Amino acid sequence: MKKALVTEIRRASFHDGPGVRTVVFFKGCPLRCAWCHNPECLSFEKEELYYPDKCIACGRCSEGCYTGARSVCGREMSVDEIFGEIMGDMSYFGKDGGATFSGGEPLAQGEILSELLDKCRSRGINCALETSMLIWNEEIFKKCDLVMADIKIWDSDLHEKYTGVRNERIKENFLALDALGIPIIARTPVICEIDQGLDRIADFLSGLKNLVSYELLPYHPLGRSKYEALGKSFTEFSVPSKEYMKGLSEKYVYLQRKT
Amino acid sequence: MYTYKERLDAMRKTKIAHTLAKRKQNGFTDLDDFGTVPISEGYKVIPWYNSENGSFYGLDGMSDNFCRVIGAHEPYVDKNEMLCGRWRDMLVNYRGDIHYMPDWLKNNLKNEEFIKKGATAQWSKRWDEQRFPYDHLKDDQKKYNITSGIDSDAHFACDYRIGFELGFGGLLEKINKYRKINPDKADFYDAEERCVLAIVDFIKRHTERIKEMIKTEKVPEIRENLTEMLRVNENITLGKPSTLHEVCQWTVYFNCASRIYTRDGAGFQLDTLLYPYYIADKEKGILDDEKAKFLIADLLLSDPHYYQISGVDANDNDMTNPLSYLILEAADAINVSCNLTVRVHPNCDREFLKKSVFYLMKNKNGWPRFANDEALSAGYMKNGLDKQTARERIAVGCNWLCVPGREFPMNDTVKINIAKVFEVALSEMKNEKERSVERLFELYSKHLEKAVSVVAEGVNLHIDHIGEVTPELIMNLMMKNTLERGEDISRCAEIYTVGVDGAGLAVVADSFAALKTRIEDERVLSWEEMYESIENDFADRRIYAMMKSTPRYCSGNSVADAFAKRLTDNFVCKVKGQKMPQGRTLVPGWFSWARSIEYGKTVGATPNGRRSGEPLTHGANPEAGFRKDSAVTAQSSGIASVQCGYGNTAPLQIEFDPGVTLENGGLERVTDLILGHFELGGTLININVIDKEKIMQAKDDPDKYPDLVVRVTGFTAYFASLSPAFRELVVKRFIDET
Repeated sequence: MKKALVTEIRRASFHDGPGVRTVVFFKGCPLRCAWCHNPECLSFEKEELYYPDKCIACGRCSEGCYTGARSVCGREMSVDEIFGEIMGDMSYFGKDGGATFSGGEPLAQGEILSELLDKCRSRGINCALETSMLIWNEEIFKKCDLVMADIKIWDSDLHEKYTGVRNERIKENFLALDALGIPIIARTPVICEIDQGLDRIADFLSGLKNLVSYELLPYHPLGRSKYEALGKSFTEFSVPSKEYMKGLSEKYVYLQRKT
Repeated sequence: MYTYKERLDAMRKTKIAHTLAKRKQNGFTDLDDFGTVPISEGYKVIPWYNSENGSFYGLDGMSDNFCRVIGAHEPYVDKNEMLCGRWRDMLVNYRGDIHYMPDWLKNNLKNEEFIKKGATAQWSKRWDEQRFPYDHLKDDQKKYNITSGIDSDAHFACDYRIGFELGFGGLLEKINKYRKINPDKADFYDAEERCVLAIVDFIKRHTERIKEMIKTEKVPEIRENLTEMLRVNENITLGKPSTLHEVCQWTVYFNCASRIYTRDGAGFQLDTLLYPYYIADKEKGILDDEKAKFLIADLLLSDPHYYQISGVDANDNDMTNPLSYLILEAADAINVSCNLTVRVHPNCDREFLKKSVFYLMKNKNGWPRFANDEALSAGYMKNGLDKQTARERIAVGCNWLCVPGREFPMNDTVKINIAKVFEVALSEMKNEKERSVERLFELYSKHLEKAVSVVAEGVNLHIDHIGEVTPELIMNLMMKNTLERGEDISRCAEIYTVGVDGAGLAVVADSFAALKTRIEDERVLSWEEMYESIENDFADRRIYAMMKSTPRYCSGNSVADAFAKRLTDNFVCKVKGQKMPQGRTLVPGWFSWARSIEYGKTVGATPNGRRSGEPLTHGANPEAGFRKDSAVTAQSSGIASVQCGYGNTAPLQIEFDPGVTLENGGLERVTDLILGHFELGGTLININVIDKEKIMQAKDDPDKYPDLVVRVTGFTAYFASLSPAFRELVVKRFIDET
């Protein structure tokens, strides 16, 4: 039976789409964003995280670590197992809530994602997708009630420099998704040190027929401890001020609830 | 100008001043606010002790001392309010009731004597042990850490319709009428009459005070307000209340009296009972909605009694009416510690529920809370009661319910610390050769059965004799059969569905799960090692981490979740299986009130990684950190699955940070959560929405936010009044869950 590699399933999320949501974080992402705060979601393999401050030096690591100093990130789960977790919150979804598939990049595990979407839809569960838009899968998009799509940097060279991939395909996919008539929430992480071309992005988004809103997400350094736990180097950016974020939000307010 | 808003602001300020002054007078208290005002200068009561053991009991002792205490009360009239009357002190304080005794009374010579003699236990001189001893129960009560309910508070609910129909004059007539019919009960009727006359005198003293204030008041609007207040007071001194203003004022006086008597009393279905007065006044043109709102706000300010609103009747018809909405608006306008419960049912106006959630999120003051009409009624009917009765049963206590006027439930006064029962079983198994989780469960079950039988004996002793020790002379006035038969309600209630709550569910479920997982399934720990760890309070940090990290109750389909359900089934089986005399029956629930600290101190280390003396988990709630994502839905589902199902509650207590706001869809989400929990069979939901920064600052400097109200559990309290230990517990619960 095919299994997905999942980082975590978070229930009762109030921040990943409308209503009460169960969020499935798929492990593995084709992008390498310099500011990523979920470094444990990047690799398509299981990884060990090590938090030395939790270690009690018992010397019995091989017998299992109970303090949380060493933990394995990544769990292979079948469609039924994941669906069982989602169903756990079925009573709370109301008319707005449902499941959100996030990552990593959920579309990178398209086959199992597609099956999950079928299962959810058969029970009337609202399905949202959080994606980098690098991967196109029309069949999957058509099964979604909402897509939360990232558009990080307008200039493709800069995009490649900071994420590891060019963005032409991402822009094309945005247009193709819009053509499918699926509601879109576009999102941009705000990194002060990078000229992200927010005006150009906003112009581009204003042409989309199905844009519901545009969310600007301030960079935060909260992923630092996870980088250290994975033994990876951490690049720190500056945290945008509240005033700066407020200014941006006001500037692009015309993109909110366009449809 | 003398606007309602200005008056309400002034009333709120006075309330804040009272809260701070009371804390100075009383010390910290981990209790409800109860609506008291500070003790006035020169206040003094000289009690009459009629027992050789230095306390007072019975009809004469209670009625005489009630008259002394209410007689010593200064009238309370605030010219900003429409209603007058507050209480300050209760007569049971003079029986050395250490648990509730305010600091200012501890200096009283008699109480110093009690304290010196070791009266540190809760019910030092309240029960007449010379006449009704229970020494044979004490060892087992201690062994299983049982709160026996013997001489507990009068946890039942009056039928206010009786009082509204009669007024105090009508009650006096009723007393006289039945005195003639039952001449052998003269002592009873004398005592009741003394009490009612003392209340009438209390009202008259207020009337005199209002007259004095009118004489010197220069502001015409205030004089007009005082004049109306005077008219209302004169009308209801003996007459029955006939307007909304009068019925609210009558309620305040009755509540003052019942509080002064034993601190007790309970509210009622506020919207339904007051609606006829509201409508009649509006039709007469003497009331508009703004005035009605002000009156309700004043009533809510006067005493944080538990009132219910909305819900369905016996035919499942929605009872929500325009006054239900006004009550929410009134509570919003005064925004103090309001113990409003919104009854929720699929047939109820959904907009009303949303409006209730709106105010919860807007004010972040812990009100209202939510009760599930469907599950509570269906459960209660399993005790053999009809649907009409079940629907009348309303949430009038911290977590408890009662059929007004008819039931004697002792709810929330009888508890078994099941973590202690578990500890006894674990200790017994240590001496056995064959140790297993199944054997442990068997032993636990055996000891629980014993604990329940001890509880039953205590309950029966209480019901049989409380009428002789502490007859309930005030609330008795608005119960059925009492005045008619000349009896205390403990003797003549129509229904005896007596609540027995278990405390420490999560500790025990997680402990069973930890043993099953680590010792039997994974075999990474031996029973010997486990016992050693318990005894040395988890000196070995690896074993501590091992036990602490087993999946917890409420994590979702875990071993601990399965044990929690099994423990619930077992608890229900033992409690419902206990034979009781005279039509009495025990009703199981999971609730532990503020006793999670106190109970925890009696229990050594437990296999779930809880160290010796640490607080127990509260009610049916899971341990803090039960899931990495602290999913409130998982907690809700877990708690819904451990409902005992006989009409008593296992409340869901949740905390939100203000990140869940009205602006970002919080209203819909919280509403969905409430409906989801109730769809799964949950019974009662207490929600706090608190500003994290504010509560952290208030923890260190409570006076900075004297108006900060938190829903401690079923009751709300001023954060500034809580003891440092309790503030710490509330903050920890909040921080861990958000």
